[in-house]
Amino acid sequence: MAIIEVRSEITGKVWRLDASMGELLDEEAPIMTLESMKMEIPVLAPVAGRLKEILVAEGEPVKEGQVVARLET
Amino acid sequence: MSFEDKIAEHARRTARAKAMGGPEKLARRAAEGLLNARERLAMLADPGSFSEIGLFAVSARPEDRERSPADGVVSGYARIDGREVALAASDLTVLGASSARVASQKIAHLRNSAIRNGMPFLLLGECAGARMPDAQGAAGMGGIGLGYGFNRRRETPWITAILGPSFGLSTWFAVQSDFVVMRKGAALAVSSPKVTAVAISEEIDPEELAGWRLQSEVTGLVDQVTETDEEALAVIRRLLAYLPGHAGELPPEAPERAPARPAEEILALLPESRGKVYDARKVLECIFDAGSLFPFKERFGRSIFTGLARLAGRSIGVIACNPLFKGGALDADACDKAASFIVFCDSYNIPFVQFADTPGFLIGQAGERQRVGGKIMNYVQALELASVPKLAVIMRKSYGQAYLNLGGGLSDEIAAWFTSEIGFVDPAVGVSVVHNLRREQDPARYDELARAMARDNSPYDLAGIFAAQTVIDPRETRDWLQRMLEVHRRRPGGGIGNHRLSVWPTTL
Repeated sequence: MAIIEVRSEITGKVWRLDASMGELLDEEAPIMTLESMKMEIPVLAPVAGRLKEILVAEGEPVKEGQVVARLET
Repeated sequence: MSFEDKIAEHARRTARAKAMGGPEKLARRAAEGLLNARERLAMLADPGSFSEIGLFAVSARPEDRERSPADGVVSGYARIDGREVALAASDLTVLGASSARVASQKIAHLRNSAIRNGMPFLLLGECAGARMPDAQGAAGMGGIGLGYGFNRRRETPWITAILGPSFGLSTWFAVQSDFVVMRKGAALAVSSPKVTAVAISEEIDPEELAGWRLQSEVTGLVDQVTETDEEALAVIRRLLAYLPGHAGELPPEAPERAPARPAEEILALLPESRGKVYDARKVLECIFDAGSLFPFKERFGRSIFTGLARLAGRSIGVIACNPLFKGGALDADACDKAASFIVFCDSYNIPFVQFADTPGFLIGQAGERQRVGGKIMNYVQALELASVPKLAVIMRKSYGQAYLNLGGGLSDEIAAWFTSEIGFVDPAVGVSVVHNLRREQDPARYDELARAMARDNSPYDLAGIFAAQTVIDPRETRDWLQRMLEVHRRRPGGGIGNHRLSVWPTTL
């Protein structure tokens, strides 16, 4: 069992949370959607796992590389 | 028989050289599930086609002669799918396949022969680093400087597989190669963790310093990653089938295959909402021959896809924005990736097509710190200098300088899909900049101004001033590309380009 950090790949704003705490996610399942460059950009699960922590809220600005969630595999 | 002694002696020396680092080391390797150098070559080459050179080479230092069969590198000529290649496999069981004088001469000999005779050069690399004390001292270092050279002019394709710890010489070859495949668990770095710890007191996990994630996702030096040696060798065989033997000939052809997905599916894959994303690789599967997409650097700079494909059996380079990542916004890594792929295609006479769907270059502090401005210009300069047929398709968004980098004004032919929109900046951003108005201040006025600005972004306006040669239904893309290549492959020179990019740096 390992904890995997999920990072935002782009600077922008959290537009919507798509998954909920404790949810079992497939690899590449959307965790949240960011708004940046006028696009809705999904943050995808890098590996399959259980969503253990969501570290940002809707409307919050995020930086490229910022840890926005943690998965447990 | 008068030569009895010589026959016996020859057999003894041959057996000794082929025994590599000895049964114990070979057994340990086999127990770990790793192929040895000779097994790797046997698996890669057509059966019976390997002609070894340098079997009797040994260390230049007399005291190491008995323990350095082939001086740690098994090398020669072979055929792969019937085509000649020059190849070398490091033998880690012999003094850690460390770089030393004779081993380096063997590799240089093959490299030069490959260039002279128009054959790809392949290296199956593992290397503990420079061999000490061979390289130590003025005479050691001075000897290294005599005659190897670092000139890379892309006369023939170079492909490297990193199949174990790789420091020193095999790293230099890898980073100068046209393509690098790495097995998970192998390592690729300038110096080993051991040397790093001594030199700068940095205790670092080998995977963090030199692992596949770093080199395929962060640096982009590695193009594809595999789980096993066997898979890495299969990748090399597959890649060679797309490539000419040298820069003076055309790539081989394969039988035509229909796309894996019907053209109709493109319209289902493209979201109607302009802010939504999709995976452009699926769209490419509707256009190119089934199973022919062969990605380069797929884990790096992911907002742009680069890779080889086949169109009616012929090799073609594909550069496509992928909105699934960063919304298709192009960052510094994406620029490096696109530029290096253009250099590759141009060097080996492979026409390429760029597919645009980008809100623009990704602006902001992160990009500036990576010198993105310079990288954007490198990319467009590579495009300008490329002399192979270059086509462009605007799928959806194409804004600002990115419109130019993706082929606007710099392609032999440009088609805009009827779904495309072109302008200096996304209308939603443009309204705020031009009218100093954010949507939350006056939504009704903002929307009206944005609609008016979007009307001017039509592909028909682009085609109206002939900046695009046509506007097409996305479902017609395969036919359009085929037809345009029939025309643009006719240029004098028989499809062999000017290769002005052949001395472009191997790492941007």
